[in-house]
Amino acid sequence: MSEENWIEVGSTDSIEEEDLIRFDHQDKTFCVYRLTDGFYATDGICTHEAVHLEDGLVMDDEIECPMHQGIFNIKSGEALSPPACEDLKTYPVKVDNDKIFIKID
Amino acid sequence: MKNNIIILGGGQAGIYAAREIRQNDTESNIKILSEENLLPYERPPLSKDFLLDKKNEDDLYFHSIEVLKNENIDFENVLINKVDFEHKKLFSKNEDVYTYDSLLISTGSDSKRLSLDNNLNDDVYYLRNLEEAKIIKEKVSDKNKITIIGGGFIGLEIASSLSQLQKKVTVIEIGNQLMGRIIPKQIADLVQNTHIEQGNEIILNKQIDKIIKKNGIYEILLNDNSIIETDFVIAGIGSTPSVKLFENTNLKLDNGIVTNQFCETSIKDVYAAGDVCNFYHPFYERNMRLESYQHAQNHGICAGKNIAGVKTEYTSIPWMWSDQFNLNLQLTGICDDYDEIIARGNDINNGVIYFFLKNKIIKGACGLGIAGKVGRDIRITSKLTEKNTIVDKQILLDQNQKLNKLIQKQ
Repeated sequence: MSEENWIEVGSTDSIEEEDLIRFDHQDKTFCVYRLTDGFYATDGICTHEAVHLEDGLVMDDEIECPMHQGIFNIKSGEALSPPACEDLKTYPVKVDNDKIFIKID
Repeated sequence: MKNNIIILGGGQAGIYAAREIRQNDTESNIKILSEENLLPYERPPLSKDFLLDKKNEDDLYFHSIEVLKNENIDFENVLINKVDFEHKKLFSKNEDVYTYDSLLISTGSDSKRLSLDNNLNDDVYYLRNLEEAKIIKEKVSDKNKITIIGGGFIGLEIASSLSQLQKKVTVIEIGNQLMGRIIPKQIADLVQNTHIEQGNEIILNKQIDKIIKKNGIYEILLNDNSIIETDFVIAGIGSTPSVKLFENTNLKLDNGIVTNQFCETSIKDVYAAGDVCNFYHPFYERNMRLESYQHAQNHGICAGKNIAGVKTEYTSIPWMWSDQFNLNLQLTGICDDYDEIIARGNDINNGVIYFFLKNKIIKGACGLGIAGKVGRDIRITSKLTEKNTIVDKQILLDQNQKLNKLIQKQ
């Protein structure tokens, strides 16, 4: 893994537990989540219709699309409930000195 | 035990029931009998992305035929025209006989039709299935002025799509607000403003007296003697449960097929799910009929479990949405019995939500916002409703306070 692909998202205290923030980088949007066991990242747009997941509900390990309630597993990206049927892309996350980084390919 | 399970109706409730049965029962034969020669497909995009060419037919199917084959679910296009519940048999128009041990009826609902006293009934178009959506899409392509009779969800969604296709759209609604039966007036007015801003004409409180055709143009005469000239007429005036097949049988009907909380009908081994049911909801302690994506899916799943012997009550809190232009409207709960309304937000860019309470307990909410702005709070409201939660009004009123806190406290 080359170091230059790790992008700084913000500080760890910028996300409350069981919540997420939206992170825009170049022309892409991501969601970065704080779950009870750590930080995770996925694409920020629902695979069903072009809507930002930042307004969705985080419950346990799942993110629910705010528009039509498609549900994805945050850790694997797996589409769990229709109308979502296409999985959500996930990204590696690391925390260094209280800062969150995601690895964008 | 290996049973013959027949699902009559190949819509959303039917396919979800079939897959749920298979998850719990690997032995039985499962056969879906569908009047439409199409695999089960999603209907919400028909009035929106399908008309706008953002989705095509192939994007609409829930599952491919391979998925059904893998799960050993048969799908047959056939028109059933007689039922013999006593001998557990269905008869097709071609006199083929289908014998079942368990039957699920998921025949859905039909569009209510306008009754015009001349021979123009075939000149009015309706949108409920893919075939009708294709016809409308093709027919409007060379038309300019389109009139939609009925200012409910389907009419307004079509109005939104056709406006985006640069059509001059007029919506005529008999009531004094849009989406009158179930949506608070404040939200209806915000939706109406958006339609008007986008160039649609909205006419409220008017009834159609007559439609006349002159040289290929329609004149719609309203009850105040005004006349709307139009090139094409679409009506969206509600639906009725598809129960014609059962009218002279012992099956208990009352605004649909009457079922209990386990999707069981009045006849042993006959179940029903989806739009066609007037089902008992144990949370609300009354019967109701719902037409929505979430209900068709969850009710189908519940029926599937019960047919497979996994006794399961249907307890979903109702939820539905409508997308018009860039707006997303969501409604959760049953909001017809309340003593207090609390408003959260006043700008659709950040979302506007009206919560309905009775005896301080949250009963449901209706919200409107750009894209998904109200989704999270509406979803949280469903969860709070389910638990009969007494909520802190100040938190509901203050958009800066996240409602997540209310469920985390549960």
